[in-house]
Amino acid sequence: MESYALGELTQSERLEVERNLAQYPELRQELAVIEETMEAFLMKAGTAPRAGVKEKILASVKAPVKTETRSAKVVSMEPETKGNIISLWKYATAASVIIALTSSYMAYNFWNNWKDTEVSLLELRALNEQVARDYNQVNERLDAIENGMQIMSNPAFQRVVMKGTANSPEALASVYWNQNTQEVYLSVQNLKALAKEQQYQLWAIVDGKPVDMGVFDGPDGANTLAGLLKMKTTGKAAAFAVTIEPRGGKSSPSLETMQVLGNT
Amino acid sequence: MDYLYDHYSSALYGVISRIINNEDVAEEVLQDVFLRIWDRIDNYDVAKGRLFTWMLNIARNLAIDKTRSKEISKDRKTDDIDDLVNRIDRKQQAEQNVETIGLKEVLGRLSEDQKFVVEYLYLKGYTQSELADEFNIPLGTVKTRLRLAMIELRTILEVKSDS
Repeated sequence: MESYALGELTQSERLEVERNLAQYPELRQELAVIEETMEAFLMKAGTAPRAGVKEKILASVKAPVKTETRSAKVVSMEPETKGNIISLWKYATAASVIIALTSSYMAYNFWNNWKDTEVSLLELRALNEQVARDYNQVNERLDAIENGMQIMSNPAFQRVVMKGTANSPEALASVYWNQNTQEVYLSVQNLKALAKEQQYQLWAIVDGKPVDMGVFDGPDGANTLAGLLKMKTTGKAAAFAVTIEPRGGKSSPSLETMQVLGNT
Repeated sequence: MDYLYDHYSSALYGVISRIINNEDVAEEVLQDVFLRIWDRIDNYDVAKGRLFTWMLNIARNLAIDKTRSKEISKDRKTDDIDDLVNRIDRKQQAEQNVETIGLKEVLGRLSEDQKFVVEYLYLKGYTQSELADEFNIPLGTVKTRLRLAMIELRTILEVKSDS
């Protein structure tokens, strides 16, 4: 599939892939993901051409139209001649030339218009892909927020506010905990951004001992956390706390990095 | 044509200019690419892939043809890839003030093997067999690494499989 997307298959291999694509939707799905990944990556790796290149290129694409109109306009009539029949023939020839030129000019024009339409269609399609992608993203965010709302307004969930420790008095996060179902959700109000190799880790204090409740990334500008994060489950907890740990988390907390803490 | 240009010229020119190290020639190729897109637009078939893939392959092929026909300096083989990545990130940051993760960060999250194939295949425009030949890696290995890299990139770039 990757080779197909890179256009590196032989003619026969390509036809084979295309036959399979037509037949199996899962394969089309796989190709679409590969292509989208490739596209997203190369969009990131883009370099804008110098200024002025756009005008030059767009002009060159439209250029054939101009030369054609010019040649169509050059049609000029021969001056009047003596013989009646001859002049009749001349008129007939001139007329047919004009007809031929006009019709080919019109055909060209139609062809050109058709091309324009074809390009517009393609552009709309590309635009459509973009809109669909954006829509999906917004939708996912909305889903996350709706889920969050449901949990926050559900009385079975107890809210445990975790306040900033001496390390970071400004920090604030909350846990929504359902003791019956043992579900735990985390809501981040204010935690500082972390280095790439670090992650936050949530802990529950159960019978005086810290228990790992899962790790999560710090906020990173564009990617602020919408909604709630589902963490590991626990039926018992006297307190919840968040520490900063190496990416992936640790089995016991580094207490000196504790950011927030809250008793249930 | 305006939209196509605005939307895709940077990505396509990025690909071309990494294969061809001369700005004038690269722009010439970009022009040829758009002419060919215009000429062959009715050959594009949605069922066979995305629009970008189709345009990308036109760009790649024309650029590679050019290097073969014109004996343009094959500097691309010695160009330092870290410099390249830094340059792209700087340019992108200058052009769009959007806070997105940079190319360097994306590549940084891949394993060394995967990073290597992605850089050579996508950034430097090598074909898979060229890469296999030049670095003495079996072609099958190149393909496997690329496949794994794509799966990894999918998560990093947050490409959703349902769209």
